[in-house]
Amino acid sequence: MSLIEIEHLKYRYPNTEKLALDDISLSIEKGEFIGIVGRNGAGKSTLGQAIIGLVPRFYNGAYGGKVTVNGRLVEETPTPEMCETVGLIFQNPFNQLSGAKETVFGEVCYGVENLGVEPKEIHRRVENALKQLDIWEYRDRNPFELSGGQMQRVAIASILVMQPDIIILDEPTSQLDPQGTEEVFSVVDKLTNTGITILMIEQKLEKLAGYSDRIILMDDGKVVDFDTPEAVFKRSDLESFGVQPFVYYPGRKVTTKELETYYGSGVIKNEQASLKEEIFAVKDVDFSYLKDVPIFEGLNLSLDKRPTAIIGQNGAGKTTLVRLLKGLLKPVSGNIYFMKEAISEKTVAMLADKVGYVFQNPDDQIFKYKVIDEVMFGPLNIGMSPKKAREEAKKALELMGLSGMEDVNPYDLELYERKMTAIASVIAMDTDVIILDEPTIAQDYLGRKTIGKMIREMTAKGKLVIAILHDMDFVWENFERVIVMAHGKILCEGNSAEVFSQDEILKEARLQKPHGVALGQSLQKSGEI
Amino acid sequence: MGNIFKTKLNTATIVLIPACIGINYLGKLFASFLKLPLWLDSIGTCLGACLGGPIIGAICGALNNLIYGLTTGDNITLIYAITSLFIGLAVGVTARLGFMETFPKSFVCALAGGLAAVIVSTPLNVIFWGGTTGNVWGDALFASTQAAGMPVALGSFLDELVVDVPDKILTIIITFLILKGLPKKLTSLYDVNAQIERLD
Amino acid sequence: MSSLSLYVDKGSWLNRLHPYVKLLYILAAICIPLIGGKLWLFPIVILCSICLLISGRCFRKSLPLIAFSFTMILVIFLVQGLFYHARENVMFQIGALTFYKEGVLYATKISCNILNMLLSFAVFVLTTSIPEFVDELEKSGFPPKFAYIITSVFQIVPQMMKTKDTIVDAQRSRGMETEGKLLTRMKAFLPLISPVVMSALINTRERAIALEVRGFGRKNKKTILSERTKRPIDTFLEVLLIVLILLTLVWRIASCL
Repeated sequence: MSLIEIEHLKYRYPNTEKLALDDISLSIEKGEFIGIVGRNGAGKSTLGQAIIGLVPRFYNGAYGGKVTVNGRLVEETPTPEMCETVGLIFQNPFNQLSGAKETVFGEVCYGVENLGVEPKEIHRRVENALKQLDIWEYRDRNPFELSGGQMQRVAIASILVMQPDIIILDEPTSQLDPQGTEEVFSVVDKLTNTGITILMIEQKLEKLAGYSDRIILMDDGKVVDFDTPEAVFKRSDLESFGVQPFVYYPGRKVTTKELETYYGSGVIKNEQASLKEEIFAVKDVDFSYLKDVPIFEGLNLSLDKRPTAIIGQNGAGKTTLVRLLKGLLKPVSGNIYFMKEAISEKTVAMLADKVGYVFQNPDDQIFKYKVIDEVMFGPLNIGMSPKKAREEAKKALELMGLSGMEDVNPYDLELYERKMTAIASVIAMDTDVIILDEPTIAQDYLGRKTIGKMIREMTAKGKLVIAILHDMDFVWENFERVIVMAHGKILCEGNSAEVFSQDEILKEARLQKPHGVALGQSLQKSGEI
Repeated sequence: MGNIFKTKLNTATIVLIPACIGINYLGKLFASFLKLPLWLDSIGTCLGACLGGPIIGAICGALNNLIYGLTTGDNITLIYAITSLFIGLAVGVTARLGFMETFPKSFVCALAGGLAAVIVSTPLNVIFWGGTTGNVWGDALFASTQAAGMPVALGSFLDELVVDVPDKILTIIITFLILKGLPKKLTSLYDVNAQIERLD
Repeated sequence: MSSLSLYVDKGSWLNRLHPYVKLLYILAAICIPLIGGKLWLFPIVILCSICLLISGRCFRKSLPLIAFSFTMILVIFLVQGLFYHARENVMFQIGALTFYKEGVLYATKISCNILNMLLSFAVFVLTTSIPEFVDELEKSGFPPKFAYIITSVFQIVPQMMKTKDTIVDAQRSRGMETEGKLLTRMKAFLPLISPVVMSALINTRERAIALEVRGFGRKNKKTILSERTKRPIDTFLEVLLIVLILLTLVWRIASCL
């Protein structure tokens, strides 16, 4: 008998009509590493939660078929009992902290305490796990004050100490910055050698291809394919399932042409004169939140109409810079000019119809009960007529791929769709400048393509798009100008090909090259291209 | 009518309580940020009562004041834990009786909450502070009733009435608007009568 | 602000004291003057609390708390001094305001009570770590689910409060006014509170999942890691405080006879 056996599993969430899981049958052996891929909404997370019993016990709804894990019938086992066998780690690092403990050490103990393990054994296990995941030094810190990558490692440690046979990783890096992503993947590396059975849902397919024994390709609640990475990623119809069409796996033959087709060749500097018009001029700006801790000293920068990506690690000053541009913060000294006018004299509300700003977390702004009302809120505030506001809102929704969702409650949507709603709500204001803070977080292949298309369309309309990004592949494919920041300084700027060829500067800013660029270089070195 | 108090003490309901207390705090924070002349610090309690039932509402209310009192050292708030408990209870019961279904009906809920506040607070005011409430307008009214020679209890009752009822009405309006906008996939978690349907 | 709790670990003897002793102290501090029924008992107990706070090196932190209750005390003196229902003997006059002896006496009593409660609570609040206290409660058989509610409030509420500025900025960025006429400000309340409420409630779903996969609410007995044990001094102080309360009671009854 296999470790996990699923027979004709069907599931429907309460108050919905569509099956989230539609007749799934498969079995997974002990010690396997299984990758699960597919577009957002394909049913990947639901499948993961069906293995630990959250589906159907936590959500209720309608359920059919049978799932057995380690000989136990999942449907009849409460999740708090099931967790001895199956562990789950999901996207949002913050929401995985129990909130029951004030220190990292206590937080990691929490699950094992609930299991009723001997205190001595708890101490031994927790110490081991914290050391194994390199978070031993944070043991006395408050878990809520850690970075995303650290929190996510605390979450993994908390599950590991419970010693489950199976661990489900549900896109654990999708909401992390590159450094956090690296941290988590290095933990996954370690897990692959422990003999624990792992199911990993992930959009970073190259990583998955390297780890997985087998890949489950899902679409529309069904399993489309369940085979080795080579077999699944060779399929020519991947794009029709919303999966990135080219995935490198070790041993795959690649040509330079393939690399360029699938990873782009970097956006080359556009020499159109119309894009050269200066929009923002930052002149000798000093800024600090706290006295004596300067963020910027004598910062100078000119921004024209080329779509511009700002990259750099957390704490480099990217968000502070765009908040200054938006007028949410005022420089301590120096000036910022928008279309030749000093913005220090204007209020945020006065700039609202000129500069749009999409915050990173859509849940910090969404408050209406219908998508269309949410998107119309900004346009109405800046004095558009209701008719015009509705028109603009519809156009923006269509651009972000949300047509037909007008009357849906935004909070019934998934995070990636709420992000699109938030972007639409700013685009509909028809501002001259659009600032995006990490637009690609939680997006899949198709979502990233939609945002890329939006950027090109806005640029064609003569609008300036500025984006803060951690997603280097996305920068490489979509931005004409790239600005590298580190510790409050601009290290370099230029088109993406120029910037990503400067190894020294990328190293100083602790940034990685886009996957395609790095892959091309390494394959060239080893002569596989 | 035994099921009015039916409470599902599952994980989803347990984590609802800290969230509701956080909402109370933020209501207060935003009200003072916008310089509104109201407290609006029981939105979370009312939400908890409507979603989780009267018992959860009562726990949210009482715990909110206990924790606020313990963290700011403001023992004046501490004593009013009993008031908040009854606000949660009253709103929860009226909501379970169906008074949160439409906007006009929700005023019954608001009135129940407001009256619970007044009735429970008045004796506390009299016992602990000789009748005052700490609210400028209410206390001015109290002073004038005392000057006119009315009984302490009546004065304190009026003092509370002018302060609490308008606040609770607005709180319930906001709660009502928020409840109406709650996504379905969330409300189903708190449904006390939910069953798993079979698909084979 | 990373924590709601006012607790600071100063390594003082009050920090090391068992939380139950401090709870019992609050009870004693409130009961003794009320049972004793003599006004002079208040200053003694208040002074005692102040001495404890000073010896625990947290008196300075209790000053804002005292300032906080000051307005309340002022109002009580004004209202009761001027309008106390059983007013008879004039004490003094300031301009047109006449203060009565009975009223001022009554106000003094209430104010002493407020101050007394405040300081005795401060002894507990400023020196006790909430998670440790909750651990103790759990050891004494307090249900773990309720214990979780208490500790999680202290962790989660500050995180929610951090979102305030971001939400204000996000809505202002979309042209919403937060200043001006009362109606404008009232209108801004819903766009500000709704995102918090919605995301808080949505987050509860994920947090509930996170708890379930960590065995929250299991039937078996939970391990409690806390290493604190009751020391002889803790037991001694507990007995002492109970004896003091009882003595006051006996004294009061005796003086009534």
